[in-house]
Amino acid sequence: MIGHNIQREQGGWAMGEPVKGTVTSLSSIYSPEDAQKASVRVQEQISEHQKQVQQLQGFLNDNTNLVNLVKKLPDQLHHDIMVPFGKAAFFPGKLIHTNEFLVLLGEGYYADRTSKQTIEILKRRGKDLESQIENLNAVIKDLKYEASFFDETATEAAEGVVEIREDYVDEVSDEEEKDTPTPGEDDFARILSRIDELEKEEMESEMAEEAEDEDKPDLSHLLSHTHIEPEIIHSEPKESSALPVSKNSDSDLDLSSNIKAPTSSASNNTLPRAVEQKKLESLPNTPVSKNEVLSTRNDSSKAFTGSIVEHTHNTEKSQTSQPPTPASKPVSRFKMRKK
Amino acid sequence: MASSSTAARELQKELEGKANDLSKIQKDISKNHQVRKKYTIQLGENELVLKELDLLNEDANVYKLIGPVLVKQDLAEANANVRKRIEYISAELKRLDSTLQDMEEKQNSKKEAIYKLQQRIQSLQAGKAKA
Repeated sequence: MIGHNIQREQGGWAMGEPVKGTVTSLSSIYSPEDAQKASVRVQEQISEHQKQVQQLQGFLNDNTNLVNLVKKLPDQLHHDIMVPFGKAAFFPGKLIHTNEFLVLLGEGYYADRTSKQTIEILKRRGKDLESQIENLNAVIKDLKYEASFFDETATEAAEGVVEIREDYVDEVSDEEEKDTPTPGEDDFARILSRIDELEKEEMESEMAEEAEDEDKPDLSHLLSHTHIEPEIIHSEPKESSALPVSKNSDSDLDLSSNIKAPTSSASNNTLPRAVEQKKLESLPNTPVSKNEVLSTRNDSSKAFTGSIVEHTHNTEKSQTSQPPTPASKPVSRFKMRKK
Repeated sequence: MASSSTAARELQKELEGKANDLSKIQKDISKNHQVRKKYTIQLGENELVLKELDLLNEDANVYKLIGPVLVKQDLAEANANVRKRIEYISAELKRLDSTLQDMEEKQNSKKEAIYKLQQRIQSLQAGKAKA
């Protein structure tokens, strides 16, 4: 059923057209009835699986009851019981040898076991049942997602939602991409997170300076993060040469001649520069990231799963007004990433 | 005109025959699935038994239910029997898999043949409509 739908969807695309994109109403790709049918079918599967789960749960309950009984039986030497005799009759009797069990292992094999050993076997079985139930529950969860997807598709198709497909052409981005090599989206996120990290460290080191606390372990921790050359920190003569240089630098941090904590000042100096450098690097990247946002939409091997809610009467308008929308999109996405 | 109609009838007959074959194959496949299900369940049960037998002590009493009677068995013997049974079942499962594959191939070829036949009939009918 699903495969069938996908095939039809691919047939629906008018690829390779000189026009900017294609607009197909969703109901022509998936008829609402078909989607409904698919969802009903999935629902049936779900209920079937749920029945199985219930059955297994019943087995599990029986098993735990049995474990409790087997635990209790050897407490006494004998029990007074009613012995079943035929289908309808019982007669009073006694249960003796209360610590001897004949356990069915399966496939017609039985074994003589004590109460304790029996309980072990039963517990192993219980574990097996539990894992089976877990598996089934996972399957049910998957099926539920599937069902909700079908339902959504059905309602969308019924509402007259249209699917807009546009081929991505990268003409604008070419020059930009030449001077700044396009980092992957991951790279970009990493740079952002690195900036955040560096800023945080800067704040921390500032606070440390204000407190004028020579908290040695804390500082060393900071230093290890900021990758300062070891010569700056440890060797005395180089340290003095490093300080004037850092005074000339554009970092507007107040460098008090506090040689008591040279390590912290050194780290303060190098940090902002690193941050700014990173920022400069990242700024020209922002337009590039737009392209990437666009290109992700172009992944034609994936089925279109997002929902564009536009009603049929203004389809033509929406098609013309579409190009600007991606331009506004990256901003929100950028912010989202930053958070 | 008359020849074309007889040809169409023949084609129709062929199509029916092929469709019957296809439904037969599909029945076989579903039967295969059922048998396989049974075997997989048995395999699971046997593996469970083997696990329990492995956990038993050497001197434990093991019985096998044969018909209405419990027959005492050696643990080693029981173990060997179960192992053999597992082997047999897995071999059987493998065999079933291969036959299933065969049948699916057959099914696909039959489907294709039917599709072609249908197309031919359609073109014939279209030609008739034109003429």
